[in-house]
Amino acid sequence: MSSQREKRRGLQTTRKIGELIMEHFSKAWDVKAQGKPVAWITVFTPVELLYAMDIYPVAPEHFGAMCSARGFIMEFLEEAEKSGYSQSLCSYSRCGLGYAISGMKGLMPPPDFLVTFRNSCDVYVKWWQSLSMHLGTPLFVGEAPYVLAREDLDNYVLDYVVKQLEQLVKIAEEKFGLKFDMERLVSTVKLSDKASELWLETLKLRRIKPCPLGGRDSASDIFPLVVMQGTNEDVKFYEELLGEVKEKVDKREGIIENERFRLLFDGIWLWYAFDLIKYFEDRGAVFVYEPYSEAWACRLDASKPLESIARKILSMGLNVDIDLRIERFLESIKEFQIDGAVLFSNRSCKSWSAPQLVTADILSKEFNVPYLIFEADMADPRQYAEAQIKNRIVAFLEVLGES
Amino acid sequence: MYAGIDAGASATKAVIVNKDSEIVSYSIVPSGINFKVSSREALKKALTTSNLSLEDIAYTVSTGYGRTLVNAKATSSEITCISRGIHKLFPSARTIIDVGGQDSKAIRIDENGRVLDFAMNDKCAAGTGRFLEVMSNLLGKPIKELSTLHFKSSKPVKISSTCTVFAESEAISYISQGSAIEDVIAGLHEAIAERIYNMSSRIGFEENVAFTGGVVKNKGFSDALGKKIGLTPILPEEPQIICAFGAALAAIKKHKESVGNSS
Repeated sequence: MSSQREKRRGLQTTRKIGELIMEHFSKAWDVKAQGKPVAWITVFTPVELLYAMDIYPVAPEHFGAMCSARGFIMEFLEEAEKSGYSQSLCSYSRCGLGYAISGMKGLMPPPDFLVTFRNSCDVYVKWWQSLSMHLGTPLFVGEAPYVLAREDLDNYVLDYVVKQLEQLVKIAEEKFGLKFDMERLVSTVKLSDKASELWLETLKLRRIKPCPLGGRDSASDIFPLVVMQGTNEDVKFYEELLGEVKEKVDKREGIIENERFRLLFDGIWLWYAFDLIKYFEDRGAVFVYEPYSEAWACRLDASKPLESIARKILSMGLNVDIDLRIERFLESIKEFQIDGAVLFSNRSCKSWSAPQLVTADILSKEFNVPYLIFEADMADPRQYAEAQIKNRIVAFLEVLGES
Repeated sequence: MYAGIDAGASATKAVIVNKDSEIVSYSIVPSGINFKVSSREALKKALTTSNLSLEDIAYTVSTGYGRTLVNAKATSSEITCISRGIHKLFPSARTIIDVGGQDSKAIRIDENGRVLDFAMNDKCAAGTGRFLEVMSNLLGKPIKELSTLHFKSSKPVKISSTCTVFAESEAISYISQGSAIEDVIAGLHEAIAERIYNMSSRIGFEENVAFTGGVVKNKGFSDALGKKIGLTPILPEEPQIICAFGAALAAIKKHKESVGNSS
């Protein structure tokens, strides 16, 4: 029993994430103290380009997830709601706005620059505009047209985003007296590509039975991909992680002891209810694939740095046609030998949840894969009905056990 | 003898069955705020009715929201228990709609009673017994009278809000505008029926369709739901105990397994 508990704690490398997060934020304060600019970015904004220009990126979305996981998000949600932001707005945006309005006295330093691309979400634009309004900080809003077909990643749509990146460089140079250096960009792009390659290789190992990396690890391990892409620490983390996972595979050691069900999880994790993953694992169910974990990895071509960054912005999972998303979703069923799918319909992220009913229908009718859908919010604990959700999980696992 | 206890959000049900899966006795008591107390009481009541004592029970399985608080050897989900219970009584049933105090569920089962798919209402009281309790308090009519009043209605009002709180003010405004109380009640029944219909449509209505749960004892409501779906449902004699009955059937199975394992 004690050895089982030991194993369930997850991977050793994952435990370093907490420290990496603290370092990331404390470095942001240091950078600011040195008079260099800190940018608040929405995720899937090109951090490689920012690092190359000595602009330090922090992501309020990541900050929101962290506040929720550590149990102090309510303070910021309430602050935003008091100022008139509706409870039906995305909880990350409410957290970020509440933090800004309440004076930014926490881990995340005030921004010198607000940068967003409207690629994964429409709220970004209004959220960033509101931040700029509250804080008076310079704002850059990039537009990423919706990718309807793969060709869009090579045609005028791509050129359009490249031009915007050039414009972003120009604005940053003028505003902060910085000098863009293509060689530095090439080097951050190389590092970013390496980290993505390592992460994708790690995820592939989850095809193996028993699965060497579970949901609790994958949910934490994505952090460096969010805001550290293009740094040495990023690559170092994923090298170490891959090493540990490979060791587990060699020893044929699963992340849980008795793997009965291999599950897919669709959606962003419920950060305040991380224990839910353990609830599954205690019942022999392990998460082996999440579109969300995979979404963070994007291979880049260092010989065409700006184009590949533009392609990354455009091809972000939520910016592509729903059919393309569903296609990948269904491919994973065989690839990862999935027994059942858990679809988390997220009140805060409609763009993520939108295709779930269609996907569920295909899963059950064409693939005969049972699924579970439940509704909650990724960061706002008030939208969570624990007993009801656990009730469904038990019923779902009973269905899997019978089939 | 075997016992199944369903510790539900508003009522706790106990069913005792013999080794041939026949119901020997049952009881329904309010859950109150303590499932330990209500489950003990429910079981005691069922035992008394059938002149049995606790020693006669070889195995107990609990289900429902309070299942982990009940003194039982094993637990099972309501979805599995309801399916098992209905399949035993009505083998032709392929779809089950259960409307309880705190949630409603739609379950699709195969010819062996195996669960194929299910849907449940989300964190919201509309479409559950709680909604009707709120409305019956508001209108000053006991739950038991709602059905009689329903059938007196000639012109049900249209309640458009799906939220219990908003529907309450809608009902108040109908009353103040002079609508007959029976029309408001029928309108409320139709509103819940519509909500449950929408939720269940995802899994479909393969026949036969059975209704279970405490709320379908309200004939006015089950009539509205049947009409909304467009079919005549199977209605068990006591729809509220099906889940506990399924748990008792699970107790027989588990007991057999445990005896088999130890021998």
